[in-house]
Amino acid sequence: MQITINGKSLEAKKGQNVLQVAIANGIYIPHLCYHEKVGAAGKCRACVVEIEGMRGLQTSCSVPVREDMVVETKADTVLQAQRLVVDLMLSSGKHDCLSCEQSGHCELQDAAYYLGIERPTCQYGDINREVDETSEFIKIDRNKCISCGRCVAACNNTVVNQVLDFGYRGHDTEIVFNTDKKMAESTCVQCGECSQICPVGAIIDKHAIGLGRLWELDKVETVCPYCGVGCKLNLHIDRKSNKIVKVSGVEGSPTNDGMLCVKGRYGFDFVGHEDRLTTPLIKEDGQFREASWEEAIELVASKFTSIRDEYGADTIMALASAKVTNEENYTFQKLIRTGIGTNNIDHCARL
Amino acid sequence: MIDQSMIDKITELKAKYPKKESALMPALMLAQKANSNNLSEEDMEKVAALVGVTSGKAFGVATYYSMYNAVKNVGKYHLQVDTNIPATLMGALKIVDYLEKKLGIKEGETTKDGLFTLSTVECLGSCGTCPVVQVNDVYYENMTTEKLDSLISSLQEGVMPVKEVNYNFGTECNVLLKNRGLENSTSIDTYIQTGGYKALEKAMAMEPQAITNEVRNSAIRGRGGAGFPAGVKWGFLPKNTGKPIYLICNADEGEPGTFKDRQIMEYDPHLLVEGMIISAKAIDSNLGFIYIRGEFEWIADILEKAIEEAKVNNKMSDIDIIVHRGAGAYVCGEETALIESIEGKRGQPRMKPPFPAVEGLYGCPTIVNNVETLASVPFIIDKGAEAFKAFGYENNTGFKLFGISGAVNKPGVYEYPMGISFNKLIEAAGGVKGNLKAAIVGGLSVPILKPEELNNLNMDYDSCIKHGTGLGSGGIMVISDEFSIPELALRTIQFYAHESCGKCAPCKEGSHTIVMILKKLLAGHGTIKDIAKLEEIVNTINNVGSTLCPTGQAFAMPIKAMIEKFRDEFTRLIK
Repeated sequence: MQITINGKSLEAKKGQNVLQVAIANGIYIPHLCYHEKVGAAGKCRACVVEIEGMRGLQTSCSVPVREDMVVETKADTVLQAQRLVVDLMLSSGKHDCLSCEQSGHCELQDAAYYLGIERPTCQYGDINREVDETSEFIKIDRNKCISCGRCVAACNNTVVNQVLDFGYRGHDTEIVFNTDKKMAESTCVQCGECSQICPVGAIIDKHAIGLGRLWELDKVETVCPYCGVGCKLNLHIDRKSNKIVKVSGVEGSPTNDGMLCVKGRYGFDFVGHEDRLTTPLIKEDGQFREASWEEAIELVASKFTSIRDEYGADTIMALASAKVTNEENYTFQKLIRTGIGTNNIDHCARL
Repeated sequence: MIDQSMIDKITELKAKYPKKESALMPALMLAQKANSNNLSEEDMEKVAALVGVTSGKAFGVATYYSMYNAVKNVGKYHLQVDTNIPATLMGALKIVDYLEKKLGIKEGETTKDGLFTLSTVECLGSCGTCPVVQVNDVYYENMTTEKLDSLISSLQEGVMPVKEVNYNFGTECNVLLKNRGLENSTSIDTYIQTGGYKALEKAMAMEPQAITNEVRNSAIRGRGGAGFPAGVKWGFLPKNTGKPIYLICNADEGEPGTFKDRQIMEYDPHLLVEGMIISAKAIDSNLGFIYIRGEFEWIADILEKAIEEAKVNNKMSDIDIIVHRGAGAYVCGEETALIESIEGKRGQPRMKPPFPAVEGLYGCPTIVNNVETLASVPFIIDKGAEAFKAFGYENNTGFKLFGISGAVNKPGVYEYPMGISFNKLIEAAGGVKGNLKAAIVGGLSVPILKPEELNNLNMDYDSCIKHGTGLGSGGIMVISDEFSIPELALRTIQFYAHESCGKCAPCKEGSHTIVMILKKLLAGHGTIKDIAKLEEIVNTINNVGSTLCPTGQAFAMPIKAMIEKFRDEFTRLIK
């Protein structure tokens, strides 16, 4: 079907909302609570537009498109309402872009830029909300929270960990962990979905703080090395120091749709760790010495062969790992069954 | 403490509702009562597990509704003084001062012996009998300093005194307040003796569509405040969805200045019960709910007793009615927030569409009507739509309850035909106490009117619109020249900021910002820029759709009108 946004006729599909059509066609409408993964909430009111034949302002995130719908995103009343929303959010929090980790990919910053808001004009009181740094990997700064609800929806409906919720009321509304516990004392498993979906700098990956602006980092798409699920992730790499700064899940990936577990998202310190083995080691006279792969494999093969010949194949057993893929596990059992000749093969993925 | 008997009660509650999560609010209240009126974190977690929700949900609910003492500790007697607009107009602040001095504590504090906690609270729905002090769950109305002295000494001896009941009322129509002055007016016998349940008998012999037609023909408009025709609303129900249909009575009377619905429920509960049974038949519903504001605990008991009597007397063969108490949240008067609240959630409005008629309670078709609307149904069925229309005039038909509070000599509830003149109503309420400065005629959410605008005002939907205001819930607050409008504006916006549900950004932060600006102005630190900022905010939020629900407009409209009509009082604050 065709709809018109700002005088332009655009192709739209049944089931889409106005905001989706706008985004698909490069028309920016500020939106701070809507996210494809958690859907429309109608909360932030930053995405309001005028729609011919409909009374009052409408949230573009929630209105489904209709044939010949006429939408105006730049009417005076629209911009006036959007400006107030963004101004009030900026005024009621400590959104210090200069030092905020989120600067550059902050959606509130984008909205303020679009609306030409230079500085907040509704600051009439002190802002002193809780900063929670108790947990290992995630920093919560409620002074930057805009109560958009994405994290709460993601925690409850996307990853279904059901830890985050809204507590209190009105201006005092805050995100809470369980019964308003500190994050570290809550049932949170640090999957970091909340951090990935937060539009502002309220939920931040702690270990990445100060290590570089996102736009300065190279993004490398890869597959998580931990288990066989094969979650897609992005490594954000600082090329100058050749270090991984942070990891994010790839939105839209069929395996994980942006979600990761604590290991995949935050457990990458082993990559550059000094204890990490970079070459095979062979123990001789109680001491390890470095060896080549050829030498090491040759040694293992010859030892296994002699053990098998002397004591029988069933004296050997093998344990496969969940960190590798199904295909690798298949090959491994093939090696043990046909190469060594035993059925003593097991896998760590059991309860 | 949560003992076995409470676990059994919570199990019963879970079975009472179509979905177990609805038991959360009453279960939390049980836990609070069993723990000297305080809700502990441990109990919250236990209740959550028993009901089958996450602890975050329980905490979210317990800190959303003001009646749960989850993050504050209260003493044995929690003295809650209503300081909303009508109360302020009628001397509540003096009551707070007196109590602070007498108890040696400030508002929000507890006496050292743990006996008294003093709080100020927003509208208790008792505007005609202000000042009112709610002690735990009991209202003590028409308070004076002398009465406070005897109340406090009685409480110090551990005795909750019997409350006095002395309300002003009057009726010219003799329908909704017909049984108001009778003894035992709440009993089914009294109700039947005065002609009650005749309409039900008649309705039982009618087709559901015929009942709906009669209500539609009466042209009765919703008495909750929005004024939408009730019969038309019923017509929005989709046919043959295979889902149950629910009827909800909105008894969350919380609009400041409004205390009419409680007159029906407290004194003539069967009128509402009969209205609900008939309406349920019309819309093919087998389960109804009365969502009553949490503070009206004793009225909830009266309603439950009436429902029980109606069952015993075989009046409810096809329907059951559950009385569900709120727990202190103005926004639950909005129908989708109310539905969320019955579902055991934070009472926050939903996005619309879908409208409740299509997807309401538990995702099923639902009709939400106000108490007064449903209580008018027996008359419409018994006497006919034409008899109803004999009251009032076209588009503004029927009888109506008006609550009058503030600077009048006989504040109370008065039943008159739609279109009664403002002046005649004020006369009925004993006339203005002092010099009339202004009045807010439709509950706090409508624009204020000056004396010259009140002159030819008739109290009906169209006349109020013509005069630049709204009939709303028919709650009239009279303001004498003793009161400053900027101070009134601050009290008004403090109410909305307190009650803003916090779901949408402009209401949550807008209301709070207006409070801060008005405080700055009243402290003498304001500038002309601050007034401009104030106007910018209210003018923007006044646009429909700028907020998720009408609460935004509910505070933008009155504040805007106060500034525009009494601008000199605001500019005078600038030094």
